[in-house]
Amino acid sequence: MRTLSLPEDARAELATMVREGYPLETCGLLVGRQANGQVEVQTVVQSRNINRERAEDRYELDPHDFLVTDKRARADGLEIVGVWHSHPDHPARPSETDRVAAWEGWSYVIISVTRDGVADLRSWRLDSEQFVEEQIQLCPR
Amino acid sequence: MSTVTVRIPTPLRSFTDGADEIRVEGTTVDDVLKALGTAHAGLLERVMSPRGELRNFVNVYLGSDNVRSLDGLATPVADNDVVSIVPAVAGGAGKAKDRRLAKIKSSIPEITPVQAVELQHEGAAVLDVREADEISQGSPVGAYRLGRAYLELRIEDTVPDMDRTILVMCSGGVRSLFAADAIKQLGYRDVRSVIGGFSRWKNDGQPFEVPRVLDADARERYSRHLLMPEIGEAGQLKLIDSKVLLLGAGGLGSPAAFYLAAAGVGTLGLVDDDIVDRSNLQRQILHTDARIGTPKVASARATLEALNPAVKVIEHQTRLDSSNVEEIFSGFDVIVDGSDNFPTRYLVNDACVKLGIPNVHGAVYRFEGQISVFWPAYEKRRGPCYRCLYPEPPPAEMAPSCAEAGVLGILPGVVGLLEAVEAIKILLGIGEPLVGKMLYYDALRAHFTELKLEPDPECPYCSEGAQFPGYVDYEELCAVSNA
Ligand SMILES: [Zn+2]
Ligand SMILES: [Zn+2]
Repeated sequence: MRTLSLPEDARAELATMVREGYPLETCGLLVGRQANGQVEVQTVVQSRNINRERAEDRYELDPHDFLVTDKRARADGLEIVGVWHSHPDHPARPSETDRVAAWEGWSYVIISVTRDGVADLRSWRLDSEQFVEEQIQLCPR
Repeated sequence: MSTVTVRIPTPLRSFTDGADEIRVEGTTVDDVLKALGTAHAGLLERVMSPRGELRNFVNVYLGSDNVRSLDGLATPVADNDVVSIVPAVAGGAGKAKDRRLAKIKSSIPEITPVQAVELQHEGAAVLDVREADEISQGSPVGAYRLGRAYLELRIEDTVPDMDRTILVMCSGGVRSLFAADAIKQLGYRDVRSVIGGFSRWKNDGQPFEVPRVLDADARERYSRHLLMPEIGEAGQLKLIDSKVLLLGAGGLGSPAAFYLAAAGVGTLGLVDDDIVDRSNLQRQILHTDARIGTPKVASARATLEALNPAVKVIEHQTRLDSSNVEEIFSGFDVIVDGSDNFPTRYLVNDACVKLGIPNVHGAVYRFEGQISVFWPAYEKRRGPCYRCLYPEPPPAEMAPSCAEAGVLGILPGVVGLLEAVEAIKILLGIGEPLVGKMLYYDALRAHFTELKLEPDPECPYCSEGAQFPGYVDYEELCAVSNA
C-alpha cells in the first residue's frame, strides 16, 4: 500500500477549513514532494470553489489559484502532489464524479464532514481508472 | 518564432520523463502545444481534442492569463514566455441522490431480512413499498403492500399506532430508505429499512408468498377504488371474490345489482320468477323496452354483463320457497332483499338467521323507504332479526292493498343503492353496518331518521340457544308488487 504522510498541523488545518465550509464542499491543493510511491505533504492550501450552483456537492478549483500555488511551491522546491476536498454528510470515498475528473499521479484526500465536524479522512490514488486507497501517516512537525 | 517554457503539471509528467518544464518553439500557443506533442508522444492528446480544440478539463495559461480569455490557441507567444498547462481539478460528493441517501442512512437503522422476520413475529409491521408488478412476483408473508405513490396518505389507516415498529422493504434496499424517511417524518418513532430488499429476502430464504394482484384491465376499471385506502387492491380483490344474492330483479334489486356489478362484486345471484312488464320500466332500470315479455333475470344479466363482463351472474328464475331457499343461498356472503312480499321476506330472514348470512333489508312505499341490516351473528353488535320485530306476517285482512299503493319511481333507486352500500361495507368489513338500526327515508321532506332496533331475547329464530323452528311457507297475501 502506498502511503501519504501528512503533518498533524496540516490535518488540523484541513479539519478547520472543511468545518468552516460546511455544508458546502471545500477544496484545495496538497503541496509537498513525492518519490518512490511515497507522498510527503508539507502544506495544504485552500482554493476557491468556482462551482457556485452546486457548491454543496461539487467542486471545481479555480485554475488561477492552481497557478499561484504551483508557482509558490516551485519557489520552495516543492510541487503540487494532490488535491483535497470535503464530502459534506457523505463518506470519505471517491464518488463517480471524482473518479471521472481525477488525474493519475496525484493523491486525492477526501474529508467526510458533518455538522459535528470531521467524520473521516482518507486518501486515494487513481490507478488504471480505479481509485486505490493509500495509507495516511500522520507525522508530527 | 519564439522560444517559450512550458510548465508540465505532475499528472502529465509521465509523458515528459518526469520533467516539470520543457522548452519549445512556436509563434502561437497552438504551435507551442503541437511542438510539445511532437517531442513527447501522447501529451498533446491529453490537452487537445482530435478537432484541435482545448479539452475542457485543462486550462492553458500564458503568464498569468488564461488563453481562453485571450485569443485562445491563436494567442501569440513571445520569447521567454511561460505557458502553463493547468489540469482542471474537480469532483464532488456524488449525485444529490447519494448525498440524500447518506443522510437518511444516518437516521434510519438498516436490518437484515432475518432480523425483519424476527421483529415481525414480535409485532412489527412489514411494509412492502414496491410497485404492483414487482409485488406480483412475490412479497413477504404478512406484509402490507401499500405501494410507494400513496404511502404517506395510506400508512396511518394501515398502521394507526405511531409506536409500532415499521420495517420498510423495497426490491434492493434503496427506495425503502427514502420511504422509511418519509414515514418517519409523519411521526412514526421506530422505522427501519430492510437491507438488500426483496432480492435478499428471497436469497436468505425468508418466507414470502405470491399475492394475487389485479390485472391491468381491473386496475384501470377500479382505479377510483384503488385510490382509497379503505378499499385498495386488497379490498378490490375481496369484492371480486365476493358473492351477493339479490332477491328480486325489480325496483330495489335493479339499482343495487347495477352498482354492485360496477363496483366489481365478482358474483351476483338473482332470484326472480317474473317477466319484464312495461309498468316495471318506471323504476326497474336493469330492463329495457325491447325486453318486455322476457324473464327479468335474463334481462338483468344482459345489462350487468354489458356494464362489467367480469361479473359472473347466476340466474334463478324461480320463486323462493322452503324447499329451495338453502340451496340457493348457500355460498353467498350477503343477501340483498328486494323482495316485494311477506312469504319471501320471512323465508329470507329465517334462512339468513340459520345460515348466519347478513340480510340487507329494504322496502319502499309511496314516498318513503326503509333500510336495515338483519344480522344477529354480527360480532360487534347484537341486532335483531326481522322476526324479532314482526314475529308473524299480518293477517290477510290487514295486509296493505299493494296494487293501489304505488311508489315514486326514483325511490327504490335511493333505497336499493343504500342497500348496495351496506352490502359493500359488509363485504369489505368497513364502517358501521345498519345492524340494530332502521334508517327511514322520507322523500317529500328530504329527511332521514334512524331508529334503534332491539333484538327480542325470546325470538324463536335468533335468540341465544334457539333451536331452528323450521321454514314456513306463508300464503301470498298480496299478489301485486309494490317494489
Ligand atoms: Zn468528492
Ligand atoms: Zn330474531
